[in-house]
Amino acid sequence: MANATDRGAAGEEPIPTGRPRKPIDWRGIAPLSGWLLLLALAIVPIVVDSRYIVYLGTLLALQAALATSLNLIIGYAGQFALSHAAFYGIGAYASALLVSSSGMGFWASVPVAVMIAVTIAIVIGYPALRYTGGIHFALITFAFGELLRLLAANWHDLTGGPQGMQAPYSPEPLLGIDFSTGRGQYLLAAAVLAFSLLVVAAIRASRIGRGLTAIREDEVLAASLGIDVTRSKLFAFVASSALAALAGTAYAPFMGFISPELLNAGESVSMVGVLIVGGMGTLSGPIIGTLLFVAIPELFRIARLYRLVILGAVIVLAVLFMPDGIAGLLKRWLRRFGPPRSSAGEG
Amino acid sequence: MLLDFFQTSLDGLMVGGLYATVALGITLVFGLVGILNFAHGQMVMLGAYIVFFATAAGWGFWFGLALAMVCMALFGLLLERVVFRRTLGNPMAGLAVSLGLIMIIENLAAAAFTPDPRFVDPPLVGSVALGSLVFSSQRLLVLVVAGTLIGAFYLFLQKTQIGKGIRAMAQNRQGAALVGVRITRVTAAIFAAGSALAGAAGALLASLFAITPFMGNTPLMKGFILATLGGLGSVPGAIAAGFLLGLAESFGSRYLSASFRDGYGFILLIATLLFLPNGLFGARTKAKL
Repeated sequence: MANATDRGAAGEEPIPTGRPRKPIDWRGIAPLSGWLLLLALAIVPIVVDSRYIVYLGTLLALQAALATSLNLIIGYAGQFALSHAAFYGIGAYASALLVSSSGMGFWASVPVAVMIAVTIAIVIGYPALRYTGGIHFALITFAFGELLRLLAANWHDLTGGPQGMQAPYSPEPLLGIDFSTGRGQYLLAAAVLAFSLLVVAAIRASRIGRGLTAIREDEVLAASLGIDVTRSKLFAFVASSALAALAGTAYAPFMGFISPELLNAGESVSMVGVLIVGGMGTLSGPIIGTLLFVAIPELFRIARLYRLVILGAVIVLAVLFMPDGIAGLLKRWLRRFGPPRSSAGEG
Repeated sequence: MLLDFFQTSLDGLMVGGLYATVALGITLVFGLVGILNFAHGQMVMLGAYIVFFATAAGWGFWFGLALAMVCMALFGLLLERVVFRRTLGNPMAGLAVSLGLIMIIENLAAAAFTPDPRFVDPPLVGSVALGSLVFSSQRLLVLVVAGTLIGAFYLFLQKTQIGKGIRAMAQNRQGAALVGVRITRVTAAIFAAGSALAGAAGALLASLFAITPFMGNTPLMKGFILATLGGLGSVPGAIAAGFLLGLAESFGSRYLSASFRDGYGFILLIATLLFLPNGLFGARTKAKL
């Protein structure tokens, strides 16, 4: 294996033999520089004075938050949930209905909307994860999402039917930030993204997170090690759905309009696609996937139609040839160029 | 009252026949190869467009139906060869790939055919009167064609060499390989047969409803529901569940509420998966996860 030590010796400076230059540990630097880059990107909409950039930033932050939370159930727990868009919609509808019909404040409506999502996630998730798994879980969540979309489209009195409903409000000022402006909306969306990343990172580092990875790799083995499989999976599903609902509450005032199309199973499917291409089970994967599939086409103004065709093609190719996604690919490169490590258990 | 009952039953049977045709393809591919092919609905859609263009070119509905079946069989073979053969043994990868395929096929179709709804002139017009009952001839025809296809397919599974190979593989993949069934060839045959059925269902749907690039989603979801209801991998189960759901929907929308028509199936699916994960007829099939 040609490692960095040989590389250093082949450089322009002749190095005395026997004392090779200490190789740079790219693995330590790369994630840090990645997060710094994200932070720099996140600051752009605050500094640049362009309505379009601010709008795009808000959209990206919400999409990235969704992909991040979906990663919890699919990437870490290994359960194919196809109901993410439905929970996004639950959050948006619940918050918008609470604000517009019961006169509740936006900030008060957020925890209520999230709690509604948590309750629904437990009701559908517990039996689904307890009694079935794998393909059946994917089918149940898919059917559940479609059922909710039908409900939203047919319950005219509550949701306004297929035409959708207006969400003509903005969050009340908080900490001196005015959320009625585009920039305020962006800050809200960025906060949702940061919160989702923090929650997922915290879960990943915790005992439950390690249990989830064990379940993904081998369910029987995990159970035999004393991990409560159903409970861990349910926790991942509920947390992931609650975060989706949280993103939904921020979406409603941002767009000012919500419709049953928000709950479309197709949206869930394209989120899964973003995740697969970005890299499942990594923190950076969902963000890379979102940047690739929302930012680039949006910036270059590629028609939605061809965007989906390209996304589809990339999903197929990624599954066949790059099962770990872009983040997995980057990880492998870093490993190749980094110093060799003896411990086999890290990852 | 009784008249109404018969009319509703016939409607249900007709829709059920179409559903069963789609569900057969799905259950076949899943039960035998372990791949949940979400792109199956897009084959239904492509089949409908083939019939549309065939009749527009003046070749007639029947030729269009045959063409749709042949084209979709070839398309299924192609997909199996290029894509699904690589994801065998990994159901989640197969699922993800088929999700990607949906996006490609559906949006390319929307670009090529425009999202405007198209209509095909049905081969039969008018209606048949049986006593005081009046049936649309085209609907009767669809029922007959779907019934014939299902029957022919059942015979194909029971009597032909390759059908026996398929059934052997369903019982035990390795065992079948040991006694000389050519697994690769049989797998390809399963994809071809399932896709041909999807093409036929598309052709029949085209003679009744509007053709759009997004028309495949409803039959696909119904197909999933039925394949699961009947027990994934069970052919008689899929057929019976198809007719049952058709009747349930038809009676539900006649006597309960029509706007929630598609919802009955989803409720049925969730309940079945929770309490009878092996489906109504799938008690003997091994649970595949």
